[in-house]
Amino acid sequence: MSKKTHNAIGGTRKQFTRIVTMAVLILVFLAFMFPFIMVLINSLKVKRDIIKDPFSWLFTVKGLSFDNFVSAFVQMDFLNAFKNSLLVTGGATILVTILASMTAYYIVRHRNKISTLTFSLMVASMIIPFQAIMIPLVSIYGGWLNILNHRITLIVLHTGFSMSMSVFMFHGFIRGSIPIALEEAACLDGCSSTQTFFRVVFPLLKPIISTLVILNALAFWNDYLLPSLVLSDKKLLTLPLSTYSFYGTYSADYGTIMAGLLLCVIPILVLYVILQKQIIKGVISGAVK
Amino acid sequence: MRSKKKFKDFCIFGLPGIFFFAAVVIVPFVYGIYLTFTNWNGVSASKDFTGLSNFAGVFSDSAFWQSLLLTFKYVILVVILVNVIAFLLAYLLTRGIRGQNFFRAGFFTPNLIGGIVLGYIWQFVFSRVFVSIGDFTGFGLFKVSWLSDPNKAFLALVLVSVWQLTGYMILIYVAGFTGMNEDVLEAADIDGATGFQKLKNIIIPMMMPSITICLFLTLSRAFMVYDVNLSLTAGAPYGTTEMAAMHVYEKAFTSRLYGVGQAEALILFIIVACVSGLQVYLTKRKEVEA
Amino acid sequence: MSNYRCVKKGLPLLLSLAVTAGLFSGCGLRFGFASDPDVPGNEEGKAVIDTSKDDFIYDDSLRGTKITMLNSKAEIQVALEEMGRVFGELSGVSLEVIPCGDDTPYTKVINMYNSGTPPTLAILDLTDIEALSSEKALELTNEEWVKECSEYVMDFDSKVYSFPLCIEGRGIIYNKKAIEDTLGETFDPDSLHSLDDFRALLERLTAAGMETPVSLSMENWSLAGHQLQYLYETYDGTSDGAAQVTSMLSDGSISLSDYDRFDQLLDLFDTLKEYNVARLDPLGADYDEMAIDLADGKTAFWFNGNWAWPNLKEAGADAEDEYGFLPYFMGSDENDYTNTKIQASPSKQVMIDKQYATEDQQAAAREFLNWIVYSNVGQQMLVDSCDIIPACRNNPNEPADPLSRDIYNKIHEGLTFNAAAIVPSDHWKVLGDAMQMYLAGRSSREELASSILQYWAEQKN
Repeated sequence: MSKKTHNAIGGTRKQFTRIVTMAVLILVFLAFMFPFIMVLINSLKVKRDIIKDPFSWLFTVKGLSFDNFVSAFVQMDFLNAFKNSLLVTGGATILVTILASMTAYYIVRHRNKISTLTFSLMVASMIIPFQAIMIPLVSIYGGWLNILNHRITLIVLHTGFSMSMSVFMFHGFIRGSIPIALEEAACLDGCSSTQTFFRVVFPLLKPIISTLVILNALAFWNDYLLPSLVLSDKKLLTLPLSTYSFYGTYSADYGTIMAGLLLCVIPILVLYVILQKQIIKGVISGAVK
Repeated sequence: MRSKKKFKDFCIFGLPGIFFFAAVVIVPFVYGIYLTFTNWNGVSASKDFTGLSNFAGVFSDSAFWQSLLLTFKYVILVVILVNVIAFLLAYLLTRGIRGQNFFRAGFFTPNLIGGIVLGYIWQFVFSRVFVSIGDFTGFGLFKVSWLSDPNKAFLALVLVSVWQLTGYMILIYVAGFTGMNEDVLEAADIDGATGFQKLKNIIIPMMMPSITICLFLTLSRAFMVYDVNLSLTAGAPYGTTEMAAMHVYEKAFTSRLYGVGQAEALILFIIVACVSGLQVYLTKRKEVEA
Repeated sequence: MSNYRCVKKGLPLLLSLAVTAGLFSGCGLRFGFASDPDVPGNEEGKAVIDTSKDDFIYDDSLRGTKITMLNSKAEIQVALEEMGRVFGELSGVSLEVIPCGDDTPYTKVINMYNSGTPPTLAILDLTDIEALSSEKALELTNEEWVKECSEYVMDFDSKVYSFPLCIEGRGIIYNKKAIEDTLGETFDPDSLHSLDDFRALLERLTAAGMETPVSLSMENWSLAGHQLQYLYETYDGTSDGAAQVTSMLSDGSISLSDYDRFDQLLDLFDTLKEYNVARLDPLGADYDEMAIDLADGKTAFWFNGNWAWPNLKEAGADAEDEYGFLPYFMGSDENDYTNTKIQASPSKQVMIDKQYATEDQQAAAREFLNWIVYSNVGQQMLVDSCDIIPACRNNPNEPADPLSRDIYNKIHEGLTFNAAAIVPSDHWKVLGDAMQMYLAGRSSREELASSILQYWAEQKN
């Protein structure tokens, strides 16, 4: 595969390499899409067919139906869970984007002991196994502060946990791609540091913001472990939590699980398609300047 | 005046983020470290200070060290494969190929499927698809389920992890490539540089910041692997594919040696910190050279 | 070109829209039909509960009390929620049922204790009850129901901390029709009295064309949690005997070479291995597929318990079909109880929290347990809605599915033995791995024996 790539980079025999590249891409692409296609197909089958005949194409199977979607929708209390997921994911994504970009900006532009210490702590914390802080976390927030079972608590915890990765990536981007000259110009114009940040720097962060919004939103949207520790009230359950009834002790309801999964994933897919445009726009507008 | 402005800047920009981070990550972590020095079992009302006895328990737990060794093997394979594949794909996907956005979206889809479903689908692939291919072709490699042989089950774990992490890293490499100055490449083209020369002398140095990030992320994620491990093999066959993070969890909650599990988590953390610290130090140095 | 790109870009979106559209058209199509047995979690088969007669006396002072119950038996979650609702309507106590979800019951319950909101009632396994009993659980020794299920009540230091929610039995499940169709004659499960009889039957089945009559699960919980457990449970067929043999194993006063049960157990295990449908790749066996194979009659036997019924039903088995249990045959002595009796013991136990729960909550929780045992409605719901074999003798309702019915009948005919071995929480996992190696042919009997001895030796402290 690497040989083909060299040709592409070399630009010789353009037509040929383009075709080869395309073929390679399509092959790899199919391998990547394969499980997703499996989910799609099997979400429309009954459990017996899923197990005995996972690859049978839809129209040859007798059990083809949308029942899995209907029962997933009903059992998950989809609209309510969707609302909870939206509030939590939306809140935490916005919060972490703003806070992390500001903290990263501070760390890049102010080299002092606090910023160095914070940054190294954050980088180090990215490798703390979650299992190691699970029990202490619920002891502190539940046993002592007694603030579990609120959406806002979950938003705060999500924000805290994704802080380090987000700061890390903003840090790299700001250091590499935001010329300090722009800020100095703004400074001469009499902008305060807050104004400088939000009017000059923040808009330039668009590409990395798009990337991080997707990564963070996806992580929040799909997370199971943390919400399961924080939320137990039925009315507050997020989408992944609401699929609990599909899992049995010895076996699971695969058809419904896959249908439920698709229902959960669609909003994120939409967000991805929308943001993908943003990433490109951000890059283009950067190039024009 | 100036120091006052500095303090104000810190309060506005640095403090809020640091506060959230410290409250949610650092405080519980420190509390967790304290727990490794007690005999607390995770639930009882009493906890007594027992010094280093939990750490003694770690050293006598040979299964932990075995799982750590396996994790190292796994990390090396995953880090190399993920970064090479993601780098190449990201490069191809920023060349203005037809439908590149569609491809990017496609490569990202593995990240949309998590948990038990992911494990189940891949179980399908390894124990059914491969076996039926084996029956059909008589190809020995596919005769029995990959998940019932220790070596192949390990390979299966690597494959699935690569499949999942690559999409994530493509996103970061794509961001890096789109931010890259294309003029230099064009100039090199005019000078008649070969593909390999361009890769070695221009592209990789310019991509070094992205490479640092991706290496760090793949390293830490590979060391921490838990979900895929649990849902695909759960350590099977006979415990040969149990990685460090899973072992820690099992120690704390299945064997109910909470303190020992917590101490093992701490040791794992220190090891990963050293390895990725070294990696960041080395790749950062390259960035400076570039 | 740009148009083309636009289309391509939109494709994933279109794909998802198509799914959504399909979903709604599906609603339109399907909503007209009441029940489809294939729909999971469907109301189909929901038991009709007669609530007209209810002479249970509710404590009015408890009205408005809120209690919670942690459920570690996922398959009865929906039924329990319904039960909680009905109990709430009748008693005025609000009962919320919390599922365990992805977590193990123990992890879930200790997380809940740490967060300061433990469940008032918790359905847990024996090992978990033992771990929590003295510090967290309310003592229930003097409850009235203790006399209704005295032989199934577990006590620690002669104190009762938990209510036995259900009896679960296990053995070799047979599919009568599959055997009869293959052999062309009627099959009487009571005609088998020893491993030799069982082997002879297997041979006849293979000769008659059923190539591999046995389904053998490879999951750790089945291999060590259920099969290897017989090693302790059949010491003398009692829980005390099981405790005795485990303590002898850990202090080294018994060796497996002079404990007959070890070889007897492995003789049967070897037989199951030999006729295993997945014998070419025993560790590649799939749990759901085994249910299908048994229901289809591709195999005739499956080592499992009465909890396997939902899986068999999904696989196409009918409640009228004849499924039942053969004993876990040990040796050739026809008079050995292991060759005539089925192991059946209370697995899931309910404890009440005493650390955080208020007195009213504790009283309400006790009322709920009494309601299950003594009220007409509670008795019905436990058996008919939850498909549970009740541990209390005063419950007149009989379970409806063939597997539970078989266990139920055997209990009443005295054809069961109740020996619950309480083993360390990682027993199923550590020795499950050892059993898997043996199953895969990667270790010998001697090696397996030394793994078992080593495990128990480590438990000494």
